[in-house]
This record gives sequence, C-alpha cells and structure tokens, in this order.
Amino acid sequence: MKFTSIASKAAKELIRDRRGLIMILIFPMFFMVVFGFAFGGMGEENEPHNLAVINNDLGATLPLTSEKLNFGDNFTQILKDVKYEDSDVKIFNITETSLEEADDLLKDRKVDAAIIIPANFSESILASINGVNSSNTILIRGDTGYVEFGISQGILVGIIEQYQDDLSTGLKSQLTGTNIQTTPKLIKSDVQSLPGTESFTNFDFLAPGMIVFAIILLSTTVASALTREVDRGTLSRLQMSKMRSFDFLFGNMLPWSLVAAAQVLILLGIALLMGFNWQGGLNSILLALVVGVIGGLASVSLGMIIASFAKNDQQATNLATIITVPMSFLTGAFFQLPQVVMANFMGQPFQIYEILPWTHTLTALRTVLTFGGGWEDIAYQVGWSLVLTALIFFLGVLIFSRTRLKPES
Amino acid sequence: MNDYIMETRDLTKDFGDFRAVDKLNLKIKRGEVFGFLGPNGAGKTTSIRMMVGLLRPTSGQVLVNGQDVHEVEKGTIGVCPQEMVLWEHLTPAESLNLMGNMYGIPKKNRHERAEQLLADLFLTDKAKSQVKDLSGGMKRRLNLALAIVHQPEIVVLDEPSEGLDPQSRRVLWNYIRSLRDDEGKTVILTTHLMDEADKLSDRIAIIDHSKLLRLDTPENLKKEIGEGDVVDMKLSDPQQNGTVLKALEGLDEIDSVLEVDGRLNVHALDAVGKLPQIMGTVESSGVRILYLSVRQNTLEDVFIDLTGTRLRD
Repeated sequence: MKFTSIASKAAKELIRDRRGLIMILIFPMFFMVVFGFAFGGMGEENEPHNLAVINNDLGATLPLTSEKLNFGDNFTQILKDVKYEDSDVKIFNITETSLEEADDLLKDRKVDAAIIIPANFSESILASINGVNSSNTILIRGDTGYVEFGISQGILVGIIEQYQDDLSTGLKSQLTGTNIQTTPKLIKSDVQSLPGTESFTNFDFLAPGMIVFAIILLSTTVASALTREVDRGTLSRLQMSKMRSFDFLFGNMLPWSLVAAAQVLILLGIALLMGFNWQGGLNSILLALVVGVIGGLASVSLGMIIASFAKNDQQATNLATIITVPMSFLTGAFFQLPQVVMANFMGQPFQIYEILPWTHTLTALRTVLTFGGGWEDIAYQVGWSLVLTALIFFLGVLIFSRTRLKPES
Repeated sequence: MNDYIMETRDLTKDFGDFRAVDKLNLKIKRGEVFGFLGPNGAGKTTSIRMMVGLLRPTSGQVLVNGQDVHEVEKGTIGVCPQEMVLWEHLTPAESLNLMGNMYGIPKKNRHERAEQLLADLFLTDKAKSQVKDLSGGMKRRLNLALAIVHQPEIVVLDEPSEGLDPQSRRVLWNYIRSLRDDEGKTVILTTHLMDEADKLSDRIAIIDHSKLLRLDTPENLKKEIGEGDVVDMKLSDPQQNGTVLKALEGLDEIDSVLEVDGRLNVHALDAVGKLPQIMGTVESSGVRILYLSVRQNTLEDVFIDLTGTRLRD
C-alpha cells in the first residue's frame, strides 16, 4: 500500500516543518481569541427579525353574537404585518410552526426568537374583559444570551403592550357599548429560555464557526504543499515511479485530516478558556472529531483542486485565500445568513449554502458542542457532509491527476 | 537482444511558434555512457524530458527496448534531475525507502538497497539527518541515489556535477563508471563540463539550435577539427586578432584558426613542428605574441568549433 508511505512522508514533513505547523495551528487560534473578546452584537437596523410563532389558541365565542373569535390568529397576523416606523420593511419574518420545530430553529439560529400563544388565549381575553381574573401569558422563548433574541424580545414586548391596549379598548366598547379608557391587563408576556441556553453568549455560537474557519483554511496549506511538490520537481520524481494518483492524493489526505482533528481539539480548548459554554460530554468531543475530520477531508480535496491550477506555492496560497475566506462566510461561520431555500429534502429545507460540506460541518459542530446534541441530531448533517466531501474528493482526484500526474503536453 | 536500448525517431517539440527540438534521431546503445552536450537553450532538457516520458512530443517517437516510452514499464528509467529534487524534511534513509516503496521494492530488499546506496555514495553518516541539513555535495549524491534506488536499466543524469567540489565530483564519476562497468546500466549524461563528458562518455551527441549537430565517440569528434594539437596565443594588440587570423588561415600547414575569448586558437597536427611558420606569420603582421601554449585538442575545442562562441541564454 503505497499510500501509507506517502501518508507517512507527508506526516513527517508536516511535523518537522515546525514553523509551518505552528502557523497552521496558531492562525485560527488568534481568530478564536479575538472573537472570544469581541462577541458583541451583530444586529442590523431595519432588517426583519426571524420569529417563530407557535399559536396554540383554540379560539372563543362571543356570548352576545355567538361570533367565533381567535385572538391568536389575529395577533399572528399583526406580527406578520407590523412594519418599521416610516418604512416599508416588515419587522418580522414569521414562521408558524410547532414547539419542537421552533426549538430546532432557535438552536440553529434560523429564528431569533419564538412566541408561544397559549391554548386559552382567546378564552382568557374574553374572561378578563368580563371581569373574571384569568391568566393569559404569551411566552417569548429563545437563547437569552443571543443579541438578536434581546432585540426581538424588546420589540415583541412593545407590540404585545400595544395589542393588549388596542384590544381591551375596542372589545370593551364592543361588548358593553361604552368607551372605557382604563382597562384591565389582558395579556402578559414572559421570557422563557431555550433549555440549555440559559447562560449562552454570542461567542458560544461563534466558537464552532471559528473551528470550521480553521478547517476550511487547511485548503490553503494543502494547496501550497501540493503545489510545492510540483514546483520542486518531487512530484515528477514520484510520477516516474509506480505510484498511482490515488496513492499520492489519498496518502496526503490522511495526515491533513489528523491536523483537522487536532484543530478541533486545540480550538475547543482555547474556546473553553475564553468562556465557551460547552454543552456536550466527552461523547460530544468524539462526535466533533469525526465531524471535523470529514470537514478536513473536504478541505484537503479543495486544496487538490486549487493546486491543480496554481503555478507555484505562493500563487496557490493567494488563490486559496481568495476562495476560502469568502467561503467561510457563506457557511455561516461568522454570522447568520438570510434563508435561501433551494429545495426540501427529507422534510428539511435545503439552503443554497448547504451545497458546501462545511455548512453541514458547522451545523453539526454547533449541535454537539453548543447544544449538547447526540449522533441522532447530527446524522443528517454528517450524511450530507460525507456525500459532498466524496464529490469534492473525486473531483479533486480527477482534476489533479489530469493536470499534474500525466505527462505534460 | 537489440543493441540499442533507446531510440528517438524524428523527435520534435514545439512550444507555440518556438521549435525546441527539431527531428532528433538518436540511437543509444545498451550499456554505454551516452553524453548529451549543447549550449544553454539548445534543447537538451526538453529532449531528455521527452525521452523519459515526462513530456509528450509534438511529433516523433521515443522507443525503449522497442516499446513506446509511455507504454514501457514504470521504473525502467531512473532520472537524476539537474535541480535538487529532494524532500527537505525527510532523512536520506527515509527518502530512499519512500522511493523504493514507490517502485515496488519489497520492504526487506529496499532497506538493504538504501543502506548499500548510502554506503556507496558516502552518505551513511548522514543517513538519519534531515536533508535540509546536508551539504550541497551530499544533496547532489542523494539526488543520484534516489534516481537509481530501483536499479533501472537506463539512468538519466542531467548535469549531475553542477556545483560539486573536485572531491565530490570524483566520487560521482567513479560511481557513474561503476554503473556502466559493474552493473551494466545505460547512462545518459547531459553536462556542461567537457572534461566530464570526455572522460565518462562512450559516445557524445552535440545539439544546438534544436538540432543534432554531431554524434560520435569523443576521440572521433576531436579528430574532426584537426587531429592533434591546439596552439593557444594571446597577442600584444587583440584588435589585430582578425588580421592575424586571416593571415594564419592562409597557411597550408594548419587545419583551422578560431578566436576564443580574445585569443587565437590554431588547430594543427604536430603543432610543435609548425610553430616557426605560425610565429613568423604572426610577427609579419606587426604584432607580438604575449603568451603561447601548445596543448592537445579537447572536447571543448570541438564544442566551440561546432556551436560558436556567442553567449546563450
């Protein structure tokens, strides 16, 4: 098995080139530390906030007219229509969903907050107007350490206050024929933390992003190392031998995927020192390592593709940087991206960014490290990550073999 | 068995409008050291890259043992490139074992082979040092060892002595001779060192401007520009070199006259006996001889005679 010799050679070169190895490991650490210190809000003004609505309201019937009312639907519609002052931009993008799905959306930060309208919402409003003391609380649920949640919560409290004022005034008038200015408190709002996120900070969301950023950056180093083999003629030397393309490319993949695993461990350690709220147990580290290694394999494959076109290692580094840095943003490593659903797959929306395997790496790492999810929670993401990585690898092998491992024309 | 191990047939390579190699026809004998000479940019490296299968020709063919070079079994040819093609962070022993494995040598044999090569090329003491810590001479010897670790039938050495001190060069030359004499290998040697080509090669091909100019033994090549000697002269007034050269060309006793590096080189058989006529002709032109020596014809004289003295890229 020649690829084991190539792997051993690549590992020795990697470990013995201490300056290069330190650079590979230190550079992402620097980012992790910077983001650790600077985990401030990233909210933008006049941008719609993503809100999940769980409307459990069963409705009620007006006693005088027997008219059916559903204040939950009415309130949901208001949330859908409410706009920024002096602007046509709506304040919320509403997703009507169940509690379970809302929690998933909150965990993935696909929504900033969720509101839960209780089943007796309409009944309680009517009872309160008729003087019967009735509990009626809208829950605002989410990650209380998340800046976007705080902003959404503030807006929601204001809207609920306004709604209850309008409602009590209008309804009382309709029911009694009098226009009463002072009204009882019809609706209360309360904040409920998403389980497991009580002490979360923005950094808890960013730390897995930093790990993915480091993994993607491996493409730069791999592209440079492979181009160096071409540039220095060592690839021609190997080309003269009985080595196959697979031996060379697969052999190079192995040590680099171990670097990806090391990066997951080191960066997780740094993140913990910087205050990362690690939710999983030791099992989550193993899962994170598996996810990280698959992400690393995707990066090595991308490095092969870049090395197929670069003329020297400097050019490979530049080209890889141009590709990998914007790609890191597209995976959502640094901030939440707008939803662009391409299709639905196995009942789940498939976003355009999810054609990148590292997007799945990121979601899986957040699930296991930030939210303490297990294998069953990441199986879908790992599956996609594997499929997309295999595609990039075969593409990389094909292009690299054709451009670098065949006699020049 | 065919006497010729390698043959090029009308081998041609174009890079756009530039023709780097023009219909090169060579036949390289089994078990010989074949010298390949030419000025910079003459087409040597391009020819070699096509001959070993790393570059596809525009037209023509390279045959190894009668088979197209691209179909011949990998490992038939070993190449020692002009540049140091080494893994700086591996040790010489690791490098040799890696390449041994790549050529499919069984583990036990390749360790033995690596040890033997390290000993033969005086690298045993540095077997476990990283290549980056070796001297230039050691790197050059390792570069050669990596080309022959799998004991190829044909060994191609592209300027193997470049930058070597006399001691290292001597080790290398002895090893090249032993490859031919003891192991029966065919060696193709490109070099700028005429002394090296002369001492090591059984036959020499001289190419320039993409074309083959001559292919013969060193002795026959030297005879071609005048059997015997060279009278090397430096005149008191180098501006008169042209006038004197024309006067000397009129002498029947000499074969040819060339101006080389501001001096006149007169080629003649038994030059010592013809010195009175040569010196008389020079003095009758009104210049004095500042320096004069008589030496035997060398391959460098042949090379300059065929390729000229103009500086190349």
